[in-house]
Amino acid sequence: MSGYVIRRFFLMLVTLFGISVVIFVMLRLVPGNITDIIFDSAGFVNPKQKQRIERELGLDQPIVVQYGRWIGGLARGDLGYAYVSEKPAIQEIAPRIPVSAKLAGLALVFSTLFGVTLGVLSAVRQDTTFDYVLRVVSLSGLSLPSFWLGLLILMACVQWFGWIPIYRSTPESFWKELGLLAIPAAAVGFRSSALVMRLTRSSMLEVLRQDYVRTARAKGAPERSVNYRHALANALLPVVTIVGIEAAFLIGGLIVTETVFNIPGVARFLVEAIRWRDYPIVQNLVMFIALIVVLVNFIVDMLYAVLDPRIKFGS
Amino acid sequence: MEATLYFVRRYPLGAIGAVIMALFVLTALFAGTIAPFDPTATDAPASLARPGGVHLLGADFMGRDVFSRIVHGARISLAVGLCATALGCLIGVAIGLASGYLGGTFDLLAQRLIDILQSLPLLVMALVMAASLGPSLTNTIVAIAIPLVPNVARIIRSNTLALREMPFVEAARAVGMSEARVALRHVLPNTLAPLIVLATAQVGSAILVESALSFLGLGIPEPHPSWGRMLSESAAEYVRTAPWLVIYPGIAISLVVFGTNLLGDAMRDALDPRLRK
Amino acid sequence: MNSRLGLAAHGGALALAAVLTLAPCAALAQKSGGTLRIYHRDNLPSASIHEEATISTVMPFMGVFNNLVLYDQGKQLNSDDTIIPDLAESWSWDATRTKLTFKLRQGVKWHDGKPFSAKDVQCTWNRLTGKDPDEFRKNPRQVWWQNLKEVSVNGDHEVSFHLNRPQGSFLSMFASGYTPVYPCHVSTKEMRTNPVGTGPFKFVEFKRGESLKFVRNPDYWKKGRPYLDAIEWRVIENRSTRILAFIADEFDLTFVTDVSIPLLKDVNSQAPKAVCEVAPTYVSSNLIVNPSAAPFNDPKIRRAMALALDRKTMIDILSQGKSNMSGVMLPAPEGNWGMPPELLKKLPGYGGDVAKNRAEARKIMESLGYGPNKTLKVKVSTRNIAIYRDPAVLLIDQLKQIYIEGELEVIDTSIWHAKVTRKEFSVGMNLTGVPVDDPDVNLYENYSCNSERNLTQYCNKEVDRLIDQQSQEPDRDKRKKLVWDIERRLAEDLARPIIYYDRAATCWQPRVKGFVLHHNSIYNNWRFENVWLDR
Repeated sequence: MSGYVIRRFFLMLVTLFGISVVIFVMLRLVPGNITDIIFDSAGFVNPKQKQRIERELGLDQPIVVQYGRWIGGLARGDLGYAYVSEKPAIQEIAPRIPVSAKLAGLALVFSTLFGVTLGVLSAVRQDTTFDYVLRVVSLSGLSLPSFWLGLLILMACVQWFGWIPIYRSTPESFWKELGLLAIPAAAVGFRSSALVMRLTRSSMLEVLRQDYVRTARAKGAPERSVNYRHALANALLPVVTIVGIEAAFLIGGLIVTETVFNIPGVARFLVEAIRWRDYPIVQNLVMFIALIVVLVNFIVDMLYAVLDPRIKFGS
Repeated sequence: MEATLYFVRRYPLGAIGAVIMALFVLTALFAGTIAPFDPTATDAPASLARPGGVHLLGADFMGRDVFSRIVHGARISLAVGLCATALGCLIGVAIGLASGYLGGTFDLLAQRLIDILQSLPLLVMALVMAASLGPSLTNTIVAIAIPLVPNVARIIRSNTLALREMPFVEAARAVGMSEARVALRHVLPNTLAPLIVLATAQVGSAILVESALSFLGLGIPEPHPSWGRMLSESAAEYVRTAPWLVIYPGIAISLVVFGTNLLGDAMRDALDPRLRK
Repeated sequence: MNSRLGLAAHGGALALAAVLTLAPCAALAQKSGGTLRIYHRDNLPSASIHEEATISTVMPFMGVFNNLVLYDQGKQLNSDDTIIPDLAESWSWDATRTKLTFKLRQGVKWHDGKPFSAKDVQCTWNRLTGKDPDEFRKNPRQVWWQNLKEVSVNGDHEVSFHLNRPQGSFLSMFASGYTPVYPCHVSTKEMRTNPVGTGPFKFVEFKRGESLKFVRNPDYWKKGRPYLDAIEWRVIENRSTRILAFIADEFDLTFVTDVSIPLLKDVNSQAPKAVCEVAPTYVSSNLIVNPSAAPFNDPKIRRAMALALDRKTMIDILSQGKSNMSGVMLPAPEGNWGMPPELLKKLPGYGGDVAKNRAEARKIMESLGYGPNKTLKVKVSTRNIAIYRDPAVLLIDQLKQIYIEGELEVIDTSIWHAKVTRKEFSVGMNLTGVPVDDPDVNLYENYSCNSERNLTQYCNKEVDRLIDQQSQEPDRDKRKKLVWDIERRLAEDLARPIIYYDRAATCWQPRVKGFVLHHNSIYNNWRFENVWLDR
């Protein structure tokens, strides 16, 4: 077991290193850099002044040196300075993380609650009208462009309630904040709840056909007990996996939702930073997101290993 | 014929999806004939014209016919959906097959590459790719295709690993077939079923990713009448004065993605024996 | 109150006494307190007004500062007659009209408590002309001060500007929101993130992409001002979201000219009580043609393109017919210097008969060997922003008429100016804002040979000479004639022709009082010291 854990951990580090190289190189492929942006708001480019700024920011150095500086700083816990605001990057990134985390958490609760419940019901009543309706609804959740859905929600709120559920700069309390986040979280959660529901349904269907379930049924155990005691418990394993992975991948969905609902989280900030060629912000944020995804994967793998006796260690 | 009828009876939702997809492909193929207007021709008096009359679904801010733009937009969406998926699958299959079949160092490297590609959420990856490649139809397709690679590669690899040990593969090898031939003739065809299922679902998601990229200003640029751009750009600003600008392209995207999802679901059920009753 | 104040202020030094006596009585009517909430449309680059050339910085930060002189915040139209004292109590020209002396207000303090003095003024202009060791990182309006020889200080409260030659509209450049006085003791770097001024509002914080906060300066030298306790900005980049938020009464004021004409209908019907004023943005959509890229080095092709333009159609679509056709200077009624319509009509591309013009253009193109079967293929470059793209799409549609087949090339907005500066384009669509309705500001900045903001690097010595000549012309009518002559030459050379000056609305809730929107510049009326909330 411990050999497996160490190996997985080592691979995780390799992956993180790979991502750092990929993002570093890709960012530098993006045409233009911060100095172009800085001059853009002045409506002209002065090559001499531009060069001076590039020198100040170390952008004139060879790319390997730039990479070394970044990773070196990262190792010391120094994320560098944001190009645009000229503040330490950590000060820009850190306050935005809790906002996104709350939104993602809420969306996750929403999607799990609905997804698992509806998935189980849909599987148990396979091919009934109920099943069809649920499947169509969940599929439509996967089919609507999320910004479109968000926009329609905003319009509806203004139209009917004269109130707009966008983020206020300083919500008075934690609960008020959650209230403001509830609608965008539902918009994000709608999509992932559809995913969870589909997975729960198929996983449940698979389990219902397993021998031990048939045996339980043959032995005359009541249908309800078969469905919920025997089958559900086993069907949940892959669901836990997908929920874990979804949690990390929600960030993708957050990008659009944070933009529509004007929520000052990390996801929107990332888009912003890409647009501004703010390398320190983009690099560190991407690394942060990757770290979460990789960690979640790692934990899910470990959980799986513990929960599922069929997985052999050391292979 | 019989198989078709069986499919329709067994998977009515899937059949509906197939019909939607067929309509979509036909629209894209015959866009030039169906559309009454040039999708890029501007016309001042028609600015924000209401639906009905000459402009069946109204006109946008610059007087361009919404119906014609949607019809031509089907081409763009089809191109993005199919090409991105095909490209992603092609690369994914190549990597997965080679990785599963060859094993060893190649497998190890390929796995790391896939890990790297997979440790960023799809949209984040597409976003960075789209930004670094710059806005154009081809680049958008590439940006959407690359993040699809790891999923495909994973599935193909695990299937290949399992198939490699199968008796019929060993038999082929025993009669002296070259390794490459064995891989392409015997292993690949047997991994197709899960690939088709995955690919069908990806077409829809590729279309959605394009619209999200357009919304974030990184998708397919004007003057291509992309649905995502129609929805997200100035259209969203006129949502209340001219709701048809937002509603019809939105319906178009949702319907097509819905169609691919229905079809994908039915195919999965049909091709995956474990889910049959 | 505002009009009375404005009227009284005309008299220069005399004005002060009048204001001082009037202010306490008038102040009774206003309510103090409250927070003004405004939305910002994008992420602003930095807080340093002198380093930026965008309304995104000027609008929020103008209230932090004072100028030497200022356009009257209470008058809709800026002109030489509406320039009023600010940090300068009075000003005077010497006999040669090459020395301008300002007498400065005493007892003014910077927000950090340090006293304001003539040294600060000298220092600000030394930075603007590149004479201070702490240079601005970028200096977009350096060309405004090209006629300034030096700045001298006489004691702590008097400062003189020495010019190379007389320049009639020199003072107007001091009156713009773009020309605040900076403190000498704060570095240019610090001014980008933590600006210090003498103005009615102190800067509190700027959360990038999120919010901006300013609070009342309790030690403001103008007694009883400002009325507001604070100004809070929130950044909302998505236009549909922010307009909806304004309709839902989340904000007191929209970003300036953010409400386009089609959107205005929406706001009017959804928030009928909101006050919306339509005014020229004084931001032009202009066509840039790279004269060094073949075949556009041929003046004949440029002339054909000028003739192919149908400005009226563009205006009809882009501003629903609300904008006026215009040359380089903003036309009447808002503009002070624009060409009268009868003269404008004679310029190529402005005439009423589009069909005739285009026939002529086609003839030119045919003479150059182009025709329906041999079109000229060209990339039309523009920024990837709707307000740039929309006119470009229309332009391509119009060029089709004269055998020019344009293909839109949208350029990532961040590298737009870099590409244009490197001349990596042949035809492009650009936007240019004019901060002060004055020929010197507009012509020097955009059309003179040595200006950095002259994007096409159009350079015509004769035009340069005429620009200098009009600049020195004291007689207003004669100067106008010179300006119109320059306009004619620019139009014939197709030197960055103005397609149109846009018009758009700015909206505020009825409780916002004491706010006057300027109608011939968007850059000069954001001091907010007279604004109060009637709750």
